[in-house]
Amino acid sequence: MKQIISLNVNGDSFEVTVAPWDTLLDVLRDSLRLTGTKKGCGIGTCGVCTVIADGKAILSCLTLAIECVGKTITTIEGISSNDALHPVQKSFIENGAIQCGFCTPGIVMTAKALLDENPKPSDDEIKEALAGTFCRCTGHVKIMEAIKKVSP
Amino acid sequence: MYRTCENHGSYKESFTLKRLKVIMSQKKDKYSILGRNTPRLDGALKASGRSEFTDDVYLPGMLAGKIVRSPYPRAKILNIDTSKALKLPGVKSIITHKDIDSFMVGPDEKLLCDDMTYYFGDEVAAVAAIDEDTAIEAAELIKVDYEPLPGIFSIEDALAKGAPIIHDYLEDNFADEIKMNFGDADKAFAESEMIREDEFVVNPTHSCFSEQHTVLADFSLPDQLTLWTPIQAPTLVQKGMSYNLKLKESNIRVINLNTGGAFCGRGADKPHHYIAAFLSRKSGKPVRIACTADEEFLVYRGGGTYKFKIRTGFMKDGTLKAIETDLMLDCGAYMETQFIVLHFIGFTSQMLYKIEASKYRGRLVYTNNPPYFFHHGTGMVAFRFAFGAQLDLIAKDIGMDPVELNLKNAVDKGYTTPSKIHYASCGLKECITKAAKKSNWKKKNGKLPPYKGIGIGCGVIRSGGKGMFTHDTSAVLLKVGEDGKVFLFTGLPDMGQGSHTTMAMIAAECLGIMTEDIKVLSGDTDITPLDVGAIAQRGTFTTGNAVINACADVKKQLLKTASAKFGVPASAVIFKERKVYPKDTPDKAISFEDLVFDTLYSQEGRFVMGRGFYNPPIEDINRATYEGNSALAYSFGSQIAEVEVDPETGIVKLTKMTVAHDVGFAINPLGVEGQMDGQVFSGMGQAIYEECVMDNGRVLNPTLLDYRTPRAYEMPEVDHIIVETIDPYGPFGAKEVGQGVIQCTTPAIANAVSNAIGYPIKELPVTPERVLKAIRQKKTEQNKT
Repeated sequence: MKQIISLNVNGDSFEVTVAPWDTLLDVLRDSLRLTGTKKGCGIGTCGVCTVIADGKAILSCLTLAIECVGKTITTIEGISSNDALHPVQKSFIENGAIQCGFCTPGIVMTAKALLDENPKPSDDEIKEALAGTFCRCTGHVKIMEAIKKVSP
Repeated sequence: MYRTCENHGSYKESFTLKRLKVIMSQKKDKYSILGRNTPRLDGALKASGRSEFTDDVYLPGMLAGKIVRSPYPRAKILNIDTSKALKLPGVKSIITHKDIDSFMVGPDEKLLCDDMTYYFGDEVAAVAAIDEDTAIEAAELIKVDYEPLPGIFSIEDALAKGAPIIHDYLEDNFADEIKMNFGDADKAFAESEMIREDEFVVNPTHSCFSEQHTVLADFSLPDQLTLWTPIQAPTLVQKGMSYNLKLKESNIRVINLNTGGAFCGRGADKPHHYIAAFLSRKSGKPVRIACTADEEFLVYRGGGTYKFKIRTGFMKDGTLKAIETDLMLDCGAYMETQFIVLHFIGFTSQMLYKIEASKYRGRLVYTNNPPYFFHHGTGMVAFRFAFGAQLDLIAKDIGMDPVELNLKNAVDKGYTTPSKIHYASCGLKECITKAAKKSNWKKKNGKLPPYKGIGIGCGVIRSGGKGMFTHDTSAVLLKVGEDGKVFLFTGLPDMGQGSHTTMAMIAAECLGIMTEDIKVLSGDTDITPLDVGAIAQRGTFTTGNAVINACADVKKQLLKTASAKFGVPASAVIFKERKVYPKDTPDKAISFEDLVFDTLYSQEGRFVMGRGFYNPPIEDINRATYEGNSALAYSFGSQIAEVEVDPETGIVKLTKMTVAHDVGFAINPLGVEGQMDGQVFSGMGQAIYEECVMDNGRVLNPTLLDYRTPRAYEMPEVDHIIVETIDPYGPFGAKEVGQGVIQCTTPAIANAVSNAIGYPIKELPVTPERVLKAIRQKKTEQNKT
């Protein structure tokens, strides 16, 4: 039943043993111990588990691990280098866009995917990108500000 | 399960009053750290996913736990057969009521049902297995025979003649009743020129944390229980579990790493904590129970249905005389914290406006709905909506502008309420005036086009205070490293509100160093000193004062060295911006780091450690009459909501929120704004969008898609007005900005919707259905006249 697959995560290739029903989230957290990606609702309603696959923001809780063979996966651990946070991360910190921080990795990844594709998003475009995420603490106000301030 | 422990300590006069005179004489611009926008200290950790939450802890041999829940809201349990599940490979332990001797987790609640179930989802059995899949399979193999019985799902049905008694040791379905009478209400009503009576309903809601309920328990040794769980009051969980498990507090270690939101909903030990502990005890291995999305609605337990009858006596000029409140609160199957909500509402009903007397009767009614718990706004927000809406109707009755009516009756500094609550600082009038001005109230009220509306709401809440124990203590330890960095140990969790950064800022200001020189260590009851927790808006006020006291202790130790070195008295030594110098000769300055070094590398060899605690120097209320002042500081707020209503669909859109809040002193304005935004967001949810749709005890919409919370799209523009009144008892004058803000949000929005459609809103949330019904009702009434 279980099989070994190879996943490209944050530029490295990992061989992992997965069951057909294992989600990408399960594998990231339980096998690779990349716990920066959080598990929220587990059913695709909160966006907490968002990672980037081939440039698109996806919900890792609704994506099977076997679907990701051959794809380039980037998680929150993969966007900052040793000495520098990603500009989105810096902006979130400086603008007070983080409170409890549980949804932060998912929203940072959502924002990064948006800005990579559209460096100057309008308010509505930001809201549309954020529509699948949920931050109970900030009400998204300072998150919007932080994303706008990253954009040139 | 909260328990009031008497005689846990008695109050002693602290040196607060002396210290406060010093603080009052200082001016804000003298502060090097405070009052400046300061990003969170743990920002980088959280932004990069390095912050550890409960589910990020993996222990060797850890098992997955699963709870078997009743599929019937009320049923007899005929038999529980675990034999098949036990045979499943990978199953390590199974518990039913027999294994735990019908263990109780509250006065009316068995941890695992024995002969009866009381709500849909009631815990019946639990299993621990080597992985999640095996645990789920085993849970399904546990065979429970039920005999379903008719349940009770509304307050009316619970009180109907011949209704089944839910808890058979009682004579009826009343769980609790409280009466609070302050002042001579009969006289005040008799003297009133007008009296208004209205009924209001608030439907069940859910707080929706980002991080769902989860627990990891290691009880593999009989006298050491370690519990990892997101929580806002580790001490209360420790005490509750110690009481129920009959273990000493020191045998229970509660570790809360980071907590993904709490909003009043994570202040106590709950069944899943105990179940994980018992599974771990039986299997000898650590056990994790992580809730599924729909289970989350059962484990958290949300807010219940509130039914208010409010009678208010007033004069034709708008002077309020007396308020009589009758509350029926659905408490669900078990009492949980709802009896505390009854108290809170009794107090708050006479705290915001100057009245002569108040009369309150609160009754808690058992049903077979899920047991309810504190939700965002702690129940008081339900009353604030109800009374805020009635105040708008009173304004209409007497032809007065609602802002004027609020201003006319608003409490102010020095006021004592009928229950003897006293306000040492109060910026309510300033909040109302500033919010009205900034939102252009005068130009908009009554002058907006059809289906656009504006409304005002006001609120009050205390900053900490007595009630849980006879003390309300926060203690803080400071360890000063050789390099001048300071480790601040506190039992106060930061669930997102930013209190750790606030505490670091206070310590940095007091010690004359920088915020980043402070490292806050928290979240482990074995390591951190006692703190009642981040509940009742006590963090900034109470723990903040403890930080000041601990810093004074550190300075006392350092001053000995500094005074000898400079040859000046201790009172003439200044600590500022990492430098220490004699007041008159700043050029002699040495660094804070060098002073710490010199203190350690001296003959005395003193390693500098500071300790401080704070317990508000005040008595608890009289528990028989409910009179007295149980807190030193109270904060106030006012908000003005602007809405647009679509008369075709009934959809309400909140377009703008002007938020004014009296925070005493904004230690970190960036954090204050964040608190305001978040509470407007949640308050908007409670006012417009969110409702647990119940059907025979079942939540029909137990997911974030169906339980329709607002998202980025719905969030309005928020205008922040920080009002500072410098509270004489608060640390540097600061008070809460916790659940105080949301108190104003729901009445403001409800009144704006009423204003937009020209018909009163008396039930929350104002869903499209309710808006359309109100519009139709208005047309029917117009046709009649």
